[in-house]
Amino acid sequence: MPSFVSENLLVPLIAVPFLGILAVVLARRDQWARYWAMASSLVSLALSLALWQAFDPAVSGMQFVRRAAWMPTFNVEFAVGLDGLSMLLVLLTTILTPLSVLASWSSITTKVKAYLSLILLAEGSMLLVFAAMDAFLFFMLWEVTMVPMYFMIVIWGGPKRIAAGLKFVLYSLTGSLLLLVGLLGLHMQAGGTFDIQAMAAATIEEGAQHWIFLALVLGFAIKLPMVPFHSWLPDAHSEAPTAGSVILAGILLKMGGYGFLRFCLPILPEVSAIYSKYILWASIVAILYGGCLALAQSDLKKLIAYSSISHMGFVTLGIFAFNEEGIQGSILQMFTHGVTTGALFLAAGLLYDRTHDRQIASYGGLHRPMPRFAVFFCIFCVASFGLPGTANFVGEFLVLVGTSYGSLLMVVLSMGGIVLAAGYMLWTFQRVVLGRPGNSIAASLPDMTRREIATLLPLAVIVLVVGVFPAPLVETMTATVAQIVERAGNVALLAVPGG
Amino acid sequence: MLPYALIPGLPLAAFLFLPLAGRSIGDRSHLVGIPAVGGSFVLSVAGLFQIAGHGPLEIPVYELLQVGSLRIVVGLWLDQLAAVVLVLVTGVSFIVHVYSARYMIGDPRYRRFFALIGLFTGAMALLVLSNNLLVTYMCWELMGICSYLLISHWAGRVAAARAATKSFLVNAVADVGLGFGVVLAFATYGTLDIREILAQAASMSGETISLLGVEIGRNTLITLCLLSGAMGKSAQFPLHVWLPYAMEAPTPVSALIHAATMVNAGPFLLIRLSPLVMLAPSAMVAIAVVGAATALYGALVSLTQSDIKRLLAYSTISQIGFMVFACGVGAFTAAVFHLVAHGFLKGFLFLSTGNSLWQASHGHGTAMDGESGSRRLAVGALVLACIPPLLLFTGPYERLWTAQHTEGARAAFWVIALLAVFTTASYTYRAVQRLFSPRVAGAAPKLFAANKLPVVALMTLGGAALMLPLWSRFTEFLGPVVGQGGLSAPPRAAGISTGLGVALATALAGWLLAHVRHRRPVAKPLQQRPWVMRLYVLFLNQLYIDELHRACVVRPLLRMAVWLRHYVEAIFLEQVLLRAGAVRLTLRLSGGMRRRLEEAVIEGTIQRLASLAIGISAWQFRIIDLRGVDSAGQRAAFAAVASARALQRREPRTVRSNLLIAVCGLVLVIGLAYWWIAG
Repeated sequence: MPSFVSENLLVPLIAVPFLGILAVVLARRDQWARYWAMASSLVSLALSLALWQAFDPAVSGMQFVRRAAWMPTFNVEFAVGLDGLSMLLVLLTTILTPLSVLASWSSITTKVKAYLSLILLAEGSMLLVFAAMDAFLFFMLWEVTMVPMYFMIVIWGGPKRIAAGLKFVLYSLTGSLLLLVGLLGLHMQAGGTFDIQAMAAATIEEGAQHWIFLALVLGFAIKLPMVPFHSWLPDAHSEAPTAGSVILAGILLKMGGYGFLRFCLPILPEVSAIYSKYILWASIVAILYGGCLALAQSDLKKLIAYSSISHMGFVTLGIFAFNEEGIQGSILQMFTHGVTTGALFLAAGLLYDRTHDRQIASYGGLHRPMPRFAVFFCIFCVASFGLPGTANFVGEFLVLVGTSYGSLLMVVLSMGGIVLAAGYMLWTFQRVVLGRPGNSIAASLPDMTRREIATLLPLAVIVLVVGVFPAPLVETMTATVAQIVERAGNVALLAVPGG
Repeated sequence: MLPYALIPGLPLAAFLFLPLAGRSIGDRSHLVGIPAVGGSFVLSVAGLFQIAGHGPLEIPVYELLQVGSLRIVVGLWLDQLAAVVLVLVTGVSFIVHVYSARYMIGDPRYRRFFALIGLFTGAMALLVLSNNLLVTYMCWELMGICSYLLISHWAGRVAAARAATKSFLVNAVADVGLGFGVVLAFATYGTLDIREILAQAASMSGETISLLGVEIGRNTLITLCLLSGAMGKSAQFPLHVWLPYAMEAPTPVSALIHAATMVNAGPFLLIRLSPLVMLAPSAMVAIAVVGAATALYGALVSLTQSDIKRLLAYSTISQIGFMVFACGVGAFTAAVFHLVAHGFLKGFLFLSTGNSLWQASHGHGTAMDGESGSRRLAVGALVLACIPPLLLFTGPYERLWTAQHTEGARAAFWVIALLAVFTTASYTYRAVQRLFSPRVAGAAPKLFAANKLPVVALMTLGGAALMLPLWSRFTEFLGPVVGQGGLSAPPRAAGISTGLGVALATALAGWLLAHVRHRRPVAKPLQQRPWVMRLYVLFLNQLYIDELHRACVVRPLLRMAVWLRHYVEAIFLEQVLLRAGAVRLTLRLSGGMRRRLEEAVIEGTIQRLASLAIGISAWQFRIIDLRGVDSAGQRAAFAAVASARALQRREPRTVRSNLLIAVCGLVLVIGLAYWWIAG
C-alpha cells in the first residue's frame, strides 16, 4: 500500500548519510562522531526497511520516483527511484554500513572522524548509484564512490597500502573512462537523453551498439571484477582496513553486476546476446581461476578476496544466461555474497585487530580460546561455498538452473568451482579454527566481545534465514527480472550457445 | 497428518533450541535431545502403522521458491519406504542419543554434540520424507556438514580436523554429480517433485542429450548422477576413503553415520527413485559394478584390518556395496531389507565397540566376560549380518538376474557375489569374535568354542527360517513403492533355489575358514608365501586408494594453484601485462605531456602566484614600515610573507593535491549553484 510517508522516503534515505557526514565532522569528540555515524547509518537502515515494506513487488518498473531538474541544458535530471533490483542492493548497502561502523568502533583510533565520514560518503554515493534513474547522475556517483575507498586504503590500510590504493584508482579510472565513453555513446545514440528508461526505449544504431556495449562491459567488468581485470581486487581488499574491505567486497563490486543488469541487458539486448557466449566462458574461467588462486593463498584476506572473484563469476554467469532463473539467481548471489563476504571480512578483521597478522598459518586451534568466533566463522565459511540451507545456495542453484538451459557443460564446470570453494573454505576453517594453535599468541586470544557479536550476529541470521526462506527477497525482484528477461530473453535465446 | 511433520521437526527443533538455550543448559543437553528423538521414533512407529492401514500420506509444508518455471514446495511424502526407513533412522538415533548421554558425559562440548546429532537425525529424516529432489539434495549436503562438524568434535586433534575436511571434500566431489543430476532432472522433466519425475520418466526414455559430443539417454545420465552422489555419501569404491577416517568421531557418531544416517542415504536415494533407475539399464549395470566392486573390496580389506573400528568401517563399506549391488540388479526390496537389518546391526556393533573401548581405556579390563545375554546377542548379530546378502540369491531375484543379462555377466555376478558372501561371512565372524569374546590375557577368545559350533549353526538356520516369513511380509508391504524390474509381481516368499543353497554353503565355508584360522596360532608374516604376503600388504593398505587420491587429485590441484598464483597471477598478469605493458606504455605516452602540463602550467602558476604574493607583501611591508604604523599590521605582513614563502617551499605534490581539492570544491559549488538557479 503506497502511502504518503513511504512514497517520500527515498530522498531522505539518500540524504541521511550526507547529513551524517556533517554531524560526524562537526562532532566535538571522536566518541560522539561514532555515535552520530552509527545513528545515521541506522536511520538509513530503518528507512530502507520501511521502503522495502512499502515496495510493491507486483510492479515491474521504478517505484518511489522523485525527479528534479538539475542541468536542463544538458538534459540531466536528478531522478531517483527503485525497482526490484535496486531495492535489494539498497537494502544490502544499508545493512552493511552500520556493521562497518560498528566494526571500526575501537580498531580505528587515528583520524576517526575522517574515517567515519568516508564510510558514510561511500554509503550515500552507493545508494545514489543504485537509485539513479539518470545515466549522468549514475556516472557521477560511480566516480565519487572511488574517493572514499581510495582514502580508506591509503590512510588506514596495511603495509602495502600506497601501491594497492594506486592500483585501485588506476583500474577504476580506466574502467570509468570506458564507462563514460559508453554512456556518452548511449546518450548521443538515444537522441540526447540521459534518462535510462528513455535509453531503453530508443532504437540504437546497430553498428554503434557493438562499441557501446564493449565499452560498458569493460567498465563494469573492471568493477565486478572479471578475470583478467581482477588484479586490483586482491591487493585493495587485503590492504584496506576492515570496513573498507567490507564495503568494497560487500557492496562496491555489486555495482558492476548492477551495471550489466541496468544498462547492458535492457538497453542493448541484441548485442548482449551476441557477446553472451564469451562472457559466459569468461565467467567460468573466473569461477575456476579465482577458486584455484584462493586455494593457493596464505593470507586470510587475500583468500577471501580471490573467493570473491570466483563468486562474482556466478553473477555474470547468471546474468548472461538470459532467463529468469539465472538473473534472479545472480541478483540473489550479489546480495548473499555481499552478506557472507562482508561477514568473512569482518571476522578476518576481528582476528587482525587482535594479532595484526593476516597469515593463516599464524592461527589454528581457535576453537578453544574463541569458541564463539568458531561458530560464526563456521557459519560464514560454509555459507561462502553455498552449503544448502544457507543463503548463498539459493542464488548459486538458481544460476546453475539458469545456465542449464544453455549449456550443461558450463553447469558441470561451475560446480567444479563450488567444490574448489568448499575446499579452500573448509581448509581455511581447519587451519584457523581446528587443530592446535599455530603459536602461543593464537592460544590465548580473547573471544569475541559483545560489540563484535553484534556485528556478526545480524549477518549470521540473514544467512541462515534467507537460506530457508528466500521467498521475500526473491519476490521483491520477480517482476523486475521478468521485465528484463522479456525484453532481453526473447532476442537472446536465439544466440545463446546450444548445449 | 501434521504430527508426522514432527518426525524431522522434533530433532531439528532440538538443534535450534540447544544453541539458543545458552551455556547454563550444559550437562543437561541430553534432556532436550533424547525426548525430541524419542518423540520422533514414536511418531515413526505410529506412521508405519498408519501407512500399513491407510496408505501413504502427503504433507505440504511451505513454498521455498518460485522463480520462472521453477517452483519448489517443501513437502513430506510418507509412504511405505519412508516409513520403514524412518523407523530405522529414528530408532537407531534414539538409542545413540540415550547412549551418548552417558558416553559423552563431562565433554566440554556436550551441548554442541547433542545439537549436532539432532540436526544429523533431522536432516536424514527430512531426506527420507522429502518429496522434492532439491530438498533431498539440501538434506544430503546438510548431513555432509553435520558429519564434518561431528568428526571434528575433538577439534584439538589434528587428525580429527584433517579427517573431517577430507570426508567433506570427498563427498563434495561426489555431490557435483548429484547436484548436476538435480539440475538435469529439472531441465528434463521441468519439475523437481519426485513423484512427478517418476511419473514422467517413462515418457522420457527415448530422449537423449549430448554432453561433450557423446549422446546419452537423459534417464541414464540422471541415474548415473544419482549413483555419483550415492558413491560419495555411501562410501562406494573408489570414493570410500573418507569413511575409515570418519572414525575420528566419537563412537556414538560412528554408530549414527554407519547405521542411521549418512551412508544409508545412497541406497535410499536409488531405491526412492527406483522406477527411474529401472528405465536406465546401462546405468544399472554401472550401479551393479560399483556395488559389487565395493562389496568385494570392503570385505577383503576388512579381513586384513586389526583395528576393530577400521574393521567395522570396511565392513560397512562392503555391506553398503551389497545394497548398491542389489539396486543395480533390480532387487530394490532386498536392498531395503538389507539396509534396515544392517542399520540395526551396525548400530549395535558400534555401541558395543564403544563399550569395550571405553572399558579398555578406563582400565576395567574385559567386562563383557560372562554376560550370557551378550552371547545370544552376538549370534543374533551374526545371523543378521549374513542373511540379507543371501536374499539376493533367492529364487525370484535369481530369475530376474538370469532373465536380464548375458552369459558372461551372469558368470561374473556369481563369482563376485559368492566371493563377497564368503569374505563377508569371514570378517563378520572376526568382528563378532573380537567384540564379544572375553579378552583374557594369553588365552584364546572362546566365544565360538568348538563344542558350541553346532549350536551356532542351528541358531543360524533358525534365524534364517524366522526371517523368511518376515521377508515375504516385507516384500508385500514395500511392493507398491519400489521399482520391480522385470517382475510382474513383487517377489513373494523367498523361493528356495540351488543358488541360495550354494550361497549359504559359501557363507558357511567362509565362516568355518575364519573359525579354523582363529583357532590356529597366528602364522608369522615371514612364514607366509610371498604372493600371500603381497596380497596381504596390498589389502592392509586398502589398495593404496587413499595415496592414489592424494597423488592424482589433491597434490596436482594444489600444485596447479601455486603455479597459477606464481606464473599467471604474479608474473604474467602483474609484471608482464600490467607493469611492463599497460603502465609503462601509458607513462611513456603521457610522460612528456604530463611534464609540460604540470610543471609548466600548474607549478609555474603557483610559482608566479607565490612571487606575486611576496612582492605584494614586501610592498605592503615597506609602506607600513615607512608609515611606521602599529605592530599588528607589521605582524600581519610578516605572516603574509612567511606563508607565501611556505607556499613556495612546499613540495609540489602537496600543492597539487590541495589545488585538486580546491578545484573539486569549486566544481561542486558551481554545480549546486547551477542546480539551485536552474531548478
